[in-house]
Amino acid sequence: MDYGIDVKEQDAVVRLRGRLTFNDHAKLRALIREMLQNKAKRQILDLSALEFVDSAGIGMLLIAREEMANVDKQLVLRAAQGQVKRVLTVAQLNKIVVIEE
Amino acid sequence: MPRSAALHGLGIPQDRLQRLAATLGMPRWLPSAAPGDGDASRVVLLFGDHEAAEQPTHWVRPFAAWIEAGARSDAALADSIARAAGADLYASITTATANHLYLASRIVAALASRRPLGDAQRDDMELALHEAISNAVVHGNLQVDGMKGLSVAALDRFSHELAARIADPTFAGRLIEVSARLEPDAAVIEVSDEGNGFAQTASAGGAGPAPSGRGLDLISAIAEQVELLDDGRRIRMRFAL
Repeated sequence: MDYGIDVKEQDAVVRLRGRLTFNDHAKLRALIREMLQNKAKRQILDLSALEFVDSAGIGMLLIAREEMANVDKQLVLRAAQGQVKRVLTVAQLNKIVVIEE
Repeated sequence: MPRSAALHGLGIPQDRLQRLAATLGMPRWLPSAAPGDGDASRVVLLFGDHEAAEQPTHWVRPFAAWIEAGARSDAALADSIARAAGADLYASITTATANHLYLASRIVAALASRRPLGDAQRDDMELALHEAISNAVVHGNLQVDGMKGLSVAALDRFSHELAARIADPTFAGRLIEVSARLEPDAAVIEVSDEGNGFAQTASAGGAGPAPSGRGLDLISAIAEQVELLDDGRRIRMRFAL
């Protein structure tokens, strides 16, 4: 998985690309650190270019959500497609995280 | 249906390949000899390490079995090749290589080259198989516990343990075995590891969102039938085709 961050006042948009699996633990740690450091209240993960996510990837997104909540930031998952959209649905993540089309 | 099998090697010394083929009474595969021979021919691919098996063309028909030589003896390889004969698709490869090659997507590509699969069906099967293989890799062979608690600290612990184990040949060299049988309307896929197994416990539920432990639930949501065997070292999944 790779990512790029674009910070604009209230929103930080993080574009994730590729496959997000248990192998991406180090990248997720770095990403969470960057999201904690920038000033934006809303941390939006743009998933439109993410091709695959697994259960550990979902777990890491939940850790990101919790870490943001601890500092009064909101994590939003946006524009999931295909397999990723399907996994978010099967895992019923909409009950836990804000999901936008 | 009688199936002729042939042996092909990548990154394997020619004399070793020749010796194994002779011992097993298997012909060597000749790429030009059987174009369009379809289901009647299946090729067992014996490869040295993950770099030798990167090419996607080696994971579709006529290739039906993938066996990593690694540090294994001829006798151990012959045993794996014999086991491959009992399955429609078969893989016996190290933990490090299974992880490196995204084994689940390779097996699903091999399956899709034999049976038509819809996009959603293919995505679901890849996820379920990936979860089964990830469990075998992470919790089985590498013996790393899942992330406990919704914190970066839990992620750090997981991250450090995983990196240390994957770098240790004692753990990373353990084998993952995948064996698939194709029925007229289903695929039955087994994944096994060489770890310590685990006692099956009821899923936690009710304790709120957890960062780990979602894999088996996802598999159960996708597969028609799921069985845990050999004290958790083997999972058998049945998918409708």
